[in-house]
Amino acid sequence: MTTAITASFAPTDLDNTGDELLREPVLVTGPATYQAVTDQVCRVTEAPRAPRAWYVAMAISLALLLLFGVLITYAIFTGVGVWGNNSPVFWGFPIINFVFWVGIAHAGTFISAILLLFRQKWRTGINRFAEATTVFAVVCAGIFPAIHVGRPWFAYWLLPYPNIMGDWPNFFSPLLWDACAVGTYATVSILFWYTGMVPDLATLRDRATGRIKPAVYGLLSLGWRGSARQWHLYERANIILAVLATALVLGVSSTVSTDMAVSQIPAWHETIFPPYFTAGAIYSGFAIVLALAIPARELFGLKDLITKRHLDNLAKLALLLGSMVLYIYLIEFVIAWYSGDPYERFAYLNYEFGPYWWLGWGILFCNGVVAQAFWFKFARQTWWIAWPVAVLCVMGMWMERFVIIIVSMHRSFLPSSWHMFVPTWIDIGTLAGSFGLFFTLFLLFCRYCPMVAVSEVKAILPQAQTRDALANERH
Amino acid sequence: MAMTQNIISPVAGAAEPTPYGLLAEFPDPQALLRAAAAIRQAGYRRWDCYSPFPIHGLDRAMRLKRSGLPWFVFGGAFTGCFAALAVAWFCNAYSYPLIFSGKPYWGLPANIPVAFPLTILFGAVTTFLALWVLAGLPRLHHPLFFSARFRRATTDGFFVTIEATDPCYDLAATTQLLRRLGAQAVEVVKDC
Repeated sequence: MTTAITASFAPTDLDNTGDELLREPVLVTGPATYQAVTDQVCRVTEAPRAPRAWYVAMAISLALLLLFGVLITYAIFTGVGVWGNNSPVFWGFPIINFVFWVGIAHAGTFISAILLLFRQKWRTGINRFAEATTVFAVVCAGIFPAIHVGRPWFAYWLLPYPNIMGDWPNFFSPLLWDACAVGTYATVSILFWYTGMVPDLATLRDRATGRIKPAVYGLLSLGWRGSARQWHLYERANIILAVLATALVLGVSSTVSTDMAVSQIPAWHETIFPPYFTAGAIYSGFAIVLALAIPARELFGLKDLITKRHLDNLAKLALLLGSMVLYIYLIEFVIAWYSGDPYERFAYLNYEFGPYWWLGWGILFCNGVVAQAFWFKFARQTWWIAWPVAVLCVMGMWMERFVIIIVSMHRSFLPSSWHMFVPTWIDIGTLAGSFGLFFTLFLLFCRYCPMVAVSEVKAILPQAQTRDALANERH
Repeated sequence: MAMTQNIISPVAGAAEPTPYGLLAEFPDPQALLRAAAAIRQAGYRRWDCYSPFPIHGLDRAMRLKRSGLPWFVFGGAFTGCFAALAVAWFCNAYSYPLIFSGKPYWGLPANIPVAFPLTILFGAVTTFLALWVLAGLPRLHHPLFFSARFRRATTDGFFVTIEATDPCYDLAATTQLLRRLGAQAVEVVKDC
């Protein structure tokens, strides 16, 4: 029973995207027994060797991770002058990367928290996977502010601790707000992710052979038995964590946006920033989940659990959020014109016609035009269209963070203090290295953790429904 | 490994010093739900059901009490919110008052961005800890893990256990009850 299912397994990859009235959509194509669902997910971790592509991807990621470590060490030992940051562009790549990675994190929490509260059953196929992207993206995000302060060994100065000068941090400062929001986000996403994984780790424990695996999975699964009392508590806790995480989906990027919105710089000092950053964040998150799901379901044979319908829904949500982002882009231009403020008007003209014009038009193209391809079912269903579109959306969102942060700062009020920003190769290498960290963690997760929430997928199978079983017991 | 046969016999039962209880396997969630309702009506108290996923309606069939978890969460979240506001007030308005941008020393709206995440942080950490403590976890071992059959409880097995310490527990009668409720297999689980 515990021997790994190593025989070849051909996913059916049925088209289940059609909508029929009065019928629940099929969310598990192929053999939908409890055993088959378990086997499909556990096979990935139990196989003695990963697919060859996994080793190739791991090698590239580890090389980038090494680069990341080396460049950060170099920056810390030498000073932040190794980056392109200058006056007036005090915030260079580190803050762009921070805002970008925090945004990437948002889709996982959206899928596992908001879609849980809305009882979207399809989320079960992708929530684990998306939550993993959340956790790893927050890890990447957290590194950048820490190195950006230049002397990371003094990062504890952010905390209110008693010191001989008797002073305290300023609680009106967005820097402190950021630390609280991102620290909370990292902690809560890890707790939510791990709590969700415990029953599936128990599944892996009960199937594991050898000496080390049962012990490791046994410890990680905390002795979970799946008793009715445990499930009862577990479901309540999951709902409560979902409610708390929902507040974070809407709160974290809003707080990050106050770093800019609370200042005086033209094109920063705007009340639209919190929803603007949040919409962009969730949008970029959906794009990266889509960009990862397309190869992962292929590579690990999960096409029957992460079905075409899941990809279709992800693309539709990316389209919805992308359209919101486009709307905000347009309304910002209108408001800049309507405000009558010459600095505000100049800032937006500078976006599109200044020295960084190609980035200004680039974000309108990537986030405004390209994402609209998802109106067409053909684009959502064809991997060689959907994947490049998703990657372009992610790139577009990085460029958007660049435009907001750098292009606004490099020409603010006084022309005498205008200055161009040019990244150094260390800036670019650190950005690439952060992707190395993200993908290293993600690939390890794919190989050693249950990539799909097995217990949640089982609970939505038709044979798991118990609506009428006690019909004659109730009064 | 082949423990799939029934091992219910007076001899086997006597050989084990005070077993943990009886483990019965049911074919599907619907049967488990009906069995749970019947066992509860038969007056058993120290028993539980096991399934690879949460079964809708099982907590009602077993008449499980609503857990006190939300109250712990409320306590944690309230503590977080209050602590954040208290620290902000102490630092910026009491211990070392400083004027920032001509604003008052103390202002509730300006402190919400710190109080809000800390409310959530404390609430979530409390939820996490209270969940495992109330669920009796983590633990390294449990008598049920002696049963090879029980390893399927996390894949496709639906089980009921009735503990030997239950006042209504009687090896023969309880076995018969479980059989009558549609159990595919019943076995005695030894205690540590």
